[in-house]
Amino acid sequence: MSTDGFIETTDLTKLYETGTVEVAALRDVTLSIDRGRFVGVTGASGSGKSTLVNLLGGLDSPSSGTIRVDGRLISDLSKKELALYRRNTVGMIFQSFNLVNAYTALENVAFPLLFAGVAKKERRLRAREVLRTVGLEARADHRPAELSGGEQQRVAIARALVNEPRILLADEPTGNLDSKTSRQIIETLSGLNRHHDLTVVMISHEQDLLREFAHELICLQDGAVVGREAMGERS
Amino acid sequence: MRIADYIEQAGGNLWKKKLRTILTTVGVVIGVGALVSMFAFGQGIQKNITEQFNKVDLFNYINVSTRDRSGEPGHSHDPDDPDAGAMDDAAAPADANDSDAPALDAQFLEEARRIEGVETAFPEMRFPAQICLGEKEQFTLVQVLPANLLRSGPLPLRSGRCYDPCEPNELIITDSLLRRLGVNEPSEALGKEIEVATVTLDFSLTNLLRMVFSSGDQGLPFARKGYRFTIVGVAERLPFGGMGDVYVQPEAAGGMRKLSLTSIWEFFRPAGEAANYSTVTVRVRSPKYIAPVKKELESRGFRTFALMDQLEEMRTGFLIMDMFLLAVGMIGITVASLGIVNTMVMSILERYREIGIMKAVGATDGDVQRIFLFESGVIGLLGGLFGLALGWTVSMVINEVINGLMARQGAPRMDYFSFPWWLCLGAIGFSILVSLAAGIYPTLRAARVDPVVALRHD
Repeated sequence: MSTDGFIETTDLTKLYETGTVEVAALRDVTLSIDRGRFVGVTGASGSGKSTLVNLLGGLDSPSSGTIRVDGRLISDLSKKELALYRRNTVGMIFQSFNLVNAYTALENVAFPLLFAGVAKKERRLRAREVLRTVGLEARADHRPAELSGGEQQRVAIARALVNEPRILLADEPTGNLDSKTSRQIIETLSGLNRHHDLTVVMISHEQDLLREFAHELICLQDGAVVGREAMGERS
Repeated sequence: MRIADYIEQAGGNLWKKKLRTILTTVGVVIGVGALVSMFAFGQGIQKNITEQFNKVDLFNYINVSTRDRSGEPGHSHDPDDPDAGAMDDAAAPADANDSDAPALDAQFLEEARRIEGVETAFPEMRFPAQICLGEKEQFTLVQVLPANLLRSGPLPLRSGRCYDPCEPNELIITDSLLRRLGVNEPSEALGKEIEVATVTLDFSLTNLLRMVFSSGDQGLPFARKGYRFTIVGVAERLPFGGMGDVYVQPEAAGGMRKLSLTSIWEFFRPAGEAANYSTVTVRVRSPKYIAPVKKELESRGFRTFALMDQLEEMRTGFLIMDMFLLAVGMIGITVASLGIVNTMVMSILERYREIGIMKAVGATDGDVQRIFLFESGVIGLLGGLFGLALGWTVSMVINEVINGLMARQGAPRMDYFSFPWWLCLGAIGFSILVSLAAGIYPTLRAARVDPVVALRHD
């Protein structure tokens, strides 16, 4: 199997200071993820999974080491360049959905386009289109409080997709959902990975589901990669 | 992000917290309203003073007096006058020989009228008189004013017409004096006969004998002399005192025996000597001629005074008044701006997670900062617009109240508040500016929010 190193981390380390104590959330993590792969990340709480996703998403900066995405050195970008990277290259979804409660589903999905300078009419058109992709067009005018957990997460997925990113980072997207809905969400992500050539990095405790849908499983422990498991090619 | 999107976002976010937005905006409205009222009052006063001066053409006049007559009017003994000593020295040769000193006489009037830019020149004359209309009497000052000057518009006529130069016994009276004489309707006074009684010095033999043989205050050499006039016009009484309450022509005044307030020295003039005036007023065609005409007159050895010279001092005074009113008005704005800071900080704390979401989906620090700055700006815009309306309304009410009170004392109606366009636009602009300044600290805080922390925030 050939590798293209679409996402590459080298000796990636993230340290946090709590008082006088320095805690390593990630320590010397070296990874390579190919374009169009579905990679599951698993590990116990505090193992550094969210830190890894935040660093890959450009929400946080590493203490040392490098991150390259499609050959571009992300770890050295300025704050403004990181914002543009988040806007154009990655889409993120979270365990707690992180939707704006005052907005409708449509407005939440259109939110990233606002910062991309897209005109209002175009924003609404594109947002409706993506909502249709995740099967929520009928719920476009509902606010998050009027949607189920699964629907909220699908709105969050639609929001992550609206800027047509190349990478989808999912931080425990099924953590607040029942098993049936969790499966539906992972199926949705898997479908996007397969049909839209989207590189997906998903954190989850549900290793069985990850083994079923992901190409590869990375196991973290105390901020270090302790295991990698390839699940083989899927059609 | 587009400008239209910033505005829409700001409006939408503020509308979500209506009560808080309204309360904060009311603070700005009151602050701007107070500031606008104060400034409009200052402007109104300046405008009234300047307009009244322009109305009576005061900026077109030069007062001319002689330098050389020691002890006479026109000779400066004012210790505060830096020119006084110099003038005494300059006038010394003239003192030695009075006949060489320039004189304010009929020949001077002719010469002055020939100077380029001079419209006319006339002797300044004002004298006290008893005005009798029917059974009522009032003591006042009579101003001598040529008909051609009156026609140029310094006196606004309420009724009737200007006097005719061919009819020296025609007179103009102010509405204020007329009311004191018992006539409330100006048109009723037109055509009526009125007596102007002057006081003169009387050194006749009869009077001297009466002085010698009388006791107490009866022994003064004064006599009363009455002259009949016809009222042809009723003028408004000019604010700030004006020039007088009765106006007559020089031709009429020349034939009257009177104790002039500005030419008492004329009573001690040796018989046979030509009449000299203590002061002559020169009227120029426009204020631009003030400087050259003054220079010309001074080169001929006269002292001059023009109100135009005082204009700069007046402007400085107005500026100080404006600064004082601005300082008072700024108190309200400062309090209002603290309200904006509070509102924005609260808004940012409440929307902490939303800021994290903004950043996660690609907003730059600048985008976040501008979203909140626009919210501050919208509060400022609304505060400016409604504050201007409030300031205008309150000013109009106060104006009516003051005019109501002043009308009882016979004062003419005035607009005590002025709202020039630059004040209206400036108030709105200033309100936006102050609001934006108040929003700087909260928006910097918003821009610095760490998205990782914000996204975990409940």
